[in-house]
Amino acid sequence: MTSPMIEASGVTKSFGAVHVLKGVNLAVNKGDVACLIGPSGSGKSTFLRCINHLEKHDAGNLLVDGEFVGYERRGNTLRELSDRQICTERSQIGMVFQRFNLFGHLTALENVTLGPIHVRGETPAAARDRAMTLLSSVGLTEKASIYPSQLSGGQQQRVAIARALAMEPKLMLFDEPTSALDPELVGEVLEAIKQLANDGMTMVVVTHEMGFAREVANQLFFMDDGIVQESGDPREVLANPQTERLASFLSKVL
Amino acid sequence: MTSSGDELLRVVPARHVGRWFAGAGVIVIIGMMIHTFLSKIPTGQTLCHEVASTAEHKVFRCVDVMQWRFSWDVVGKYVTSSNIFKGLLMTLALTGLTMVIGVVLGATVAVLRLSASRILAASAWLFTWFFRGTPVYVQLLFWFNIAAIFPTLDLGIPFGPSLWHIDAVTLFTPFTAALVGLGLNEGAYMSEIIRGGILAVDEGQIEAANSVGLSRLKTLRLVVLPQAMRVIIPPTGNEVISMLKTSSLASALAVVELLKAAQNVYASTYEVIPLLIVASIWYLIITTILSIGQFYIERHFSRGSLRNLPMTPWERIVRDTRGVIGKMRTPRGLRGVRA
Repeated sequence: MTSPMIEASGVTKSFGAVHVLKGVNLAVNKGDVACLIGPSGSGKSTFLRCINHLEKHDAGNLLVDGEFVGYERRGNTLRELSDRQICTERSQIGMVFQRFNLFGHLTALENVTLGPIHVRGETPAAARDRAMTLLSSVGLTEKASIYPSQLSGGQQQRVAIARALAMEPKLMLFDEPTSALDPELVGEVLEAIKQLANDGMTMVVVTHEMGFAREVANQLFFMDDGIVQESGDPREVLANPQTERLASFLSKVL
Repeated sequence: MTSSGDELLRVVPARHVGRWFAGAGVIVIIGMMIHTFLSKIPTGQTLCHEVASTAEHKVFRCVDVMQWRFSWDVVGKYVTSSNIFKGLLMTLALTGLTMVIGVVLGATVAVLRLSASRILAASAWLFTWFFRGTPVYVQLLFWFNIAAIFPTLDLGIPFGPSLWHIDAVTLFTPFTAALVGLGLNEGAYMSEIIRGGILAVDEGQIEAANSVGLSRLKTLRLVVLPQAMRVIIPPTGNEVISMLKTSSLASALAVVELLKAAQNVYASTYEVIPLLIVASIWYLIITTILSIGQFYIERHFSRGSLRNLPMTPWERIVRDTRGVIGKMRTPRGLRGVRA
């Protein structure tokens, strides 16, 4: 299993005069768990959002499962796809946000079934059955009929994971999934992500949890100043930083 | 003793003397108002009848003829009369239909206003600017007289031949003129209300919907609008209540709604004030019903955003009654602090 799930070469992105991504190169294979670490403002989250076209990158190649995300190659140009096609692509890439972003007007169960019913066209009954299985896999069976505002941060984030999984994605993106959580709730969310890793899901996780990166990831990318500065096996990279930047970053977070 | 030792202290709430005085003052004022409402005034006529008579003299006792200051007898006579009732139905139809036009139009304009296309956004702004910027009364008169500048209306190819046409006078009856005038004006206000509601929804919700793969329209319908409702409903309730009363302007176009129906009666009987009271009573009744409806709709849409739903009026009455009874039973603070 070495076919690439994500291939990025020379990906750039600016917000006005601010160059956030200055040529990101990285490759993530199917079944890999890749962690993206780096100081805030280094472009980790922006790059993650480019992967499912929540942000449009300016230049460079970004392929998911061998296809350009949000674009179609015609000769030497990339044409942006229609909204409908982008939606189809996105539905195959799960995303979990730092601030959970659960739909506030829907119960935990309805949050999970919304996509399957309205994007995949499943019957409500079938979607419900699968959603209940997913909620039980993240330990929230009895919270199915509760609204997000009544759930703890950790519970909300686990519902968000179930919501993403309900689309049966081939790739999961996590954007600092534990950064908005109280310390005692971090563990339960990391546990759910670890479970997914064991099941062989391909994942990209932007995180500040170095312990998690060391334990679960098999690839680590250190981003700073809009490019990937260092990459490799997490244990080696974290133990022997090759660049001054990574060494100084690690000295602050470890 | 500065410390209470092992004795537990009782908490005595502060007494708000000013509040009691203010309350008493208000009760006196309300009493005076009720007295006025139920007072009688002389009509100027006197009624005399013979009480005793001799051959030369007749003795009469005369009393002033009194009537209700607010002519409640006349009010009672007309409040359920069929003409007033027909007017009321027209007012309700006008309010309901213009609000439907207003909401549909407002939603469309709000979405256009938020469109990425500059042309669409600007034209939506222009619509709101115009219809919010001119008095609704002027707009009503404009549509009523539209036939003066567009004698016929044609449907056909732009700048080309006409395929179908109708006389403006036929199309713009007083009723349709009122509907179009009030509806367009309401659309302008509703568009701002709906736009505010959409903008109040966190961007993260849209991103989450996108990441699940929902299309733009489904994101709007399934994620954004249901949550915008919580912000949209309260001012929309105000708009409905406001429209109920603004629809009385249609009386100027000879639409026989509630006010015009009352006017038609007093045009022949000269009982102006009683008939205005009759109309006011109906406006108040409908407003009350609408306010109750608004409460329950707001409660419905606050699911998920409030941990505890607001109490219904009935629950509130039960709580207050229990509170008052409870206070009567325990004379709090009379014995002071034991310490």
